[in-house]
Amino acid sequence: MIYAVFAPLIFAVLIPFLSRWKEKVHTGWLILPVPFAIFLYFLLHVGPNFEPHMQSVNWIPSLDISLSFYLDGLSLLFALLISGIGTLVVLYSIYYLNHKEQLGHFYTYLYIFMTAMLGVVLSDNVFALYAFWEFTSISSFLLIGYWHYRERSRYGALKSMLITILGGFSLLAGILLLTIVTGTTSIREMVGQADVIVDSHYFPFILTFLLLGAFTKSAQFPFHIWLPDAMEAPTPVSAYLHSATMVKAGIYLMARFSPIFAGDPNFFFILSLFGIVTLVWGSYMAVRQTDLKGILAYSTISQLGMIMAMLGFGTDVALFAAVFHILNHATFKGSLFMVAGIVDHETGTRDIRKLGGLMTFMPISFTLMIFGTFSMAGVPLPFLNGFYSKEMFFDATLVNSATSPFLEAFVVALPILAVVGSIFTFIYSMYLFFGTFTGKYKEEELPQKPHEAPKMMLLPPFILVLGVITIGLFPEVFNQSLITHAADAVFGAENNQDIYFWHGLVPAFYMSIAVVVLGILLYLTKSKWEGIYSVLPGRLSFNRVYDWLIEMIEKVSNKITTSYMTGSLRFYMVLLLTAIFAITLGVLLKTNGINFEVTDVAPITTQELIVATIMAIAAIATIFVHNRIAVILIVGVVGYGLAILFVFYRAPDLALTQLIVETVTVVLFMLCFYHLPNLKKSTTPLFTKGINIIISVGFGLLLMVIGVSAYNSRAFDSISEYFIENADPLAGGYNMVNVILVDFRGIDTLFEVAVLFGAALAIIAMIKLRRDKGAK
Amino acid sequence: MNNLIFLPIVLPLIASVVAAFFPKKLNISRRFAQITSVLLTIMTAALTWHVFMNGTIVVQSGGWDAPFGISIVGDGLSMLLVLTTYIVSTAAVFYAPSALDKQQESFYFYAFYFLLISGVAGAFMTGDLFNLFVFFEVLLIASYGLIVLGNGKIQLRESMKYVLFNLFSSMLFVVSIAFIYAVTGTVNFAQLAERVEFVEQQGILSTLAIVLFFVFAVKAAIFPLYYWLPNSYVVPNAVVSALFGALLTKVGVYSILRVFTLIFVHDTGVTHQIFIYLAMFTMLFGVIGALSTNNVKLIITYNIIPAVGFMLMGIGLYSEEAIAGSVYYLMHDMVIKGALFFLIGALIVAAGTKDLRQMSGVIQKFPLLGWLFFIASLILAGVPPFSGFIGKILLLRSGLAQEEFLLVIVALISSLLILFSMMRIFIRGFWGELMENISDDRKRVRNLTIPGVILVSISIFLGVGAEAVYPHVETIANMLVDRTDYISSVLKE
Amino acid sequence: MEIIMTGLASILFGAGIYNLLQKQLLRIVVGTVLVSHGAHLYFLTMAQLKRGAPPLVVDGVTEYTDPLPQALVLTAIVIAFGVTSFLLVLAYRTYTVNETDNMEELRGSDHE
Repeated sequence: MIYAVFAPLIFAVLIPFLSRWKEKVHTGWLILPVPFAIFLYFLLHVGPNFEPHMQSVNWIPSLDISLSFYLDGLSLLFALLISGIGTLVVLYSIYYLNHKEQLGHFYTYLYIFMTAMLGVVLSDNVFALYAFWEFTSISSFLLIGYWHYRERSRYGALKSMLITILGGFSLLAGILLLTIVTGTTSIREMVGQADVIVDSHYFPFILTFLLLGAFTKSAQFPFHIWLPDAMEAPTPVSAYLHSATMVKAGIYLMARFSPIFAGDPNFFFILSLFGIVTLVWGSYMAVRQTDLKGILAYSTISQLGMIMAMLGFGTDVALFAAVFHILNHATFKGSLFMVAGIVDHETGTRDIRKLGGLMTFMPISFTLMIFGTFSMAGVPLPFLNGFYSKEMFFDATLVNSATSPFLEAFVVALPILAVVGSIFTFIYSMYLFFGTFTGKYKEEELPQKPHEAPKMMLLPPFILVLGVITIGLFPEVFNQSLITHAADAVFGAENNQDIYFWHGLVPAFYMSIAVVVLGILLYLTKSKWEGIYSVLPGRLSFNRVYDWLIEMIEKVSNKITTSYMTGSLRFYMVLLLTAIFAITLGVLLKTNGINFEVTDVAPITTQELIVATIMAIAAIATIFVHNRIAVILIVGVVGYGLAILFVFYRAPDLALTQLIVETVTVVLFMLCFYHLPNLKKSTTPLFTKGINIIISVGFGLLLMVIGVSAYNSRAFDSISEYFIENADPLAGGYNMVNVILVDFRGIDTLFEVAVLFGAALAIIAMIKLRRDKGAK
Repeated sequence: MNNLIFLPIVLPLIASVVAAFFPKKLNISRRFAQITSVLLTIMTAALTWHVFMNGTIVVQSGGWDAPFGISIVGDGLSMLLVLTTYIVSTAAVFYAPSALDKQQESFYFYAFYFLLISGVAGAFMTGDLFNLFVFFEVLLIASYGLIVLGNGKIQLRESMKYVLFNLFSSMLFVVSIAFIYAVTGTVNFAQLAERVEFVEQQGILSTLAIVLFFVFAVKAAIFPLYYWLPNSYVVPNAVVSALFGALLTKVGVYSILRVFTLIFVHDTGVTHQIFIYLAMFTMLFGVIGALSTNNVKLIITYNIIPAVGFMLMGIGLYSEEAIAGSVYYLMHDMVIKGALFFLIGALIVAAGTKDLRQMSGVIQKFPLLGWLFFIASLILAGVPPFSGFIGKILLLRSGLAQEEFLLVIVALISSLLILFSMMRIFIRGFWGELMENISDDRKRVRNLTIPGVILVSISIFLGVGAEAVYPHVETIANMLVDRTDYISSVLKE
Repeated sequence: MEIIMTGLASILFGAGIYNLLQKQLLRIVVGTVLVSHGAHLYFLTMAQLKRGAPPLVVDGVTEYTDPLPQALVLTAIVIAFGVTSFLLVLAYRTYTVNETDNMEELRGSDHE
């Protein structure tokens, strides 16, 4: 199984090397066998006696991350979809994409996606799942941006990435919480601890994080906005990622975790609420679209909402129907995308207003489209799989009220909303079909003269339509060998449902009839009520929110940043000092650090006082003196004063050093500043001056307080006793300071010299290197 | 064997002096620098391996027992970071010839380069607070030399601010060492740890700890002390920015990590809680900065800041898992920041501009550069299975375990915005129609890309092959939280 | 006396900071010098003043002033000297290249 997952990735790496022969053979042919082999591999598992099994490889055991792949009914269903539709999409793309394009890139992205998506649905380890999850987002980003020289492609790519990665990070937080609560990284073990999770006080967070992850990925309202823009991707990608597989990852996640969340009524409520709103909104918006792929995108959104809602209902019938519909939707929507792509390819436009009357030019496409659209609309015919799951959905909306303590109004509204959504679904399905293939042929509007596509290009949608029909005619075959296993996995227990065409005169049947009748009526009168779209959504669109947000992020960040990154040294210093001052003061007060119990101080002598006073005056005088020579000399006074203090304080070496250093410094000062303009009288406003004074005085005082407290808090003897005792006997020197410098702490001195060395080099480099004098 | 632990500090110093002797003979000094760096890296790797296998090595300089001499401590953390330093800087030395002009190179670039490494390695390995100050000064003076290299108008202007900020924080460093010495009577890390523990970090000590924290925070570019960073990292040459971005702030972070896991750990309710708040703001403001500009290099520079926030977050949370996360993130960030500065330097050469608004379609002519940049962006944002991810899950999980939800949400949002800031470059600069005046110097761009290939590969390995590294990091984190290994190794008790 | 010396060091520090907050390069550099003087004075003071003879081994004397801080301050002074000289030249070069000694005119957010 692990080979099956990673095979596409390996080929993705090899593709750039394969595409060397692309002049002779289309790259697609070379790699077509890969997904097909995977499909066959998974197909071998299908059958009434399917048993889940596991295969595991260690990856980062110290973090409990492993590549453990668990194949149960749900995973199997998805794996078949991924590899099966993957095969068809590759075949289709061979005709859709021209030789001259960067096919290497396209197939690399596509195969990375294939591995990632298989990984998502097969991983039992949450971290592995998350890693694959992010890679589906990334490959989707790259595929949407495949034609990156188009502005719209770049826009759509960024949008999808931001929204799905936002969800990805949220998912990460959710699974981290799950690992904290359960102490395991295996989903199966988590399911075993479902009650621990639900009872944990982290549960609301877990739920929120995971829901956000699933909703963004599966384009649930209001995060659906990225999906229509994702249609900028080449059509094979739309058919594959953005309708059949990747967007169902969120559904998969919810299905996978629903045995855990089953214990919490909020989970079902939120899921069905968002699901049903997405269903209605998506189908409502789809009717308004004029782009073939736009219609299909909104249609996908609404269908995803429907599946999500069914997962939310949580009853056995609903869950069964959800799983069933995942399969059905993949077949009919896949074929529709492919046909839409063919229409686009052969006529040069996807604008439904320019299309029409293509029936005679493209009879095969026309036939394929009938099955796709009618299945999607849920027309009650025994050879259309869409009808079966839709009817089960209606059924589920009704059963629901008996089992769950939902809000009364919501329960009543549910079947009505379901019908409303389905009516719109019916309308756009009809519009899609009749708008393209019947009506008036508008030759002058089409960029190309339409003709039927090559046979091989029609093969993939044909196979999918064949699937639609076969499932419709023999639902029980699929049920027993595949769907029921998947439903078991989602329900967490045996979930056997029978699929009938004729249920008898039950409410669901009347709902279906109502959909068809009202749908036909509204479709025929569509032009009369279309004005409603200028009211709702009108200008109220989540796209605008997104655009506004992106614009604001850049604008506001720029505003914030330029407001404090002014380049002014003084301003930075003020901010820095204030921050240090405030936080340090806070800590000082909070930890009772102040200690004014003065003990053990040296006596005060007059000579020291005099020197100290002179130094203090000199230091303060630097502020007021405006003659540059005078200032330098005054600084010298402070320095020499310090040297004298060192003498008082029995530090002869220090005094000597200070004396020399001070002298050299003063000379350097003179050298460097002799040519600089004289100091000007300060023209700073009083306010600025005030702040300067407050800060410098405040900081000085703070250091004073800390210093005195530190001095008074002496808790230990210095380690210096050792130096005093051992300078002579062990190190053989009489001057302890020197001994410390060159022996005990020789490294300090070595690297002190290194500093001087560096400073000297830097000074030389600065003075000698004058490459851009005058320039710049 | 033990004395060899000095070599990663002393040999580059010697190399620096040697390199200063023949600055004008570029061919020789390049070869010399490259060969020396590679050899030193191999040697450091061997030493690191030795430490991982056989435990901490302590050398008391001059043979004077701690705490009286200066202890050079090669524990897992120090060695890991020194090794990472060597790897990144070796990549840099191969990048330099194509990035610098000949004049810059001949005015002691290689001497400063080795001096910088010496200072950084010393700072990572010293076990003495005052000695840490000395090594800080060594690496700072080298960085001063590097930042003004070329003497551009704007370079000088920004260098002035850079030097002043660092000078001020160095002086504050001296003051805080003085205060700490007054209370404890020692400057040796291990003994400080013992003595601070003995008085349970009472009274003034927490305040002193915070002052010391601010000293390091200025170097580490933590909110609200990072103002000096963005502009001063943008003005020098790309190779210098790479060295700075990869090494300098990380020394600050390391110092915080060391001091606040070894010495000041008895009042975490105050000190470490402050870190958590500051970490949050650091992430936010850093990433806001990254989104505020169209200068590609500045975008990368701003992205240094939120990464520091992540590391600080781990120190603030102060659990074994969180510390492990910080260490992993620290190592990862050194590598990836180096790589990103290399790549952005290459991009600027390729596009001939730093302004994102004037770039487009670079990937069409330089696909390798484009894809490397894309992968590096993902690594930076912490997308699995790359190196950023490992550190991030550890940090986030410990944040969640301690119920710091706000912190975790801020961390996640800033990760997303980091990705956004990087994708702005990728989408607007690399994608799109091929720009008109794109560089024709394929050879130079290629030379500038290859060091990036190496670092990005290492970064991928740190993620995919985390099993080879993470157990060591776990041990390091365990030792950091436990503290006894460090103290007893140094004090020989 | 230690308290007074701490006060003096604080005054040096404060005056230094005030100078750092000015516009003109010379003042700013003067500020850094004052700050470093303050820092060194703190260090010496913190080790207690005048507790015994200068740290030169003399037979019969048992009380010496703490030698360690002196050694450390010596190192710090030399380092500060190196950095200050660098800073002085840097200031000079900044002035000649940018033709102003006013830091407020050296703001700029352009990056070449």
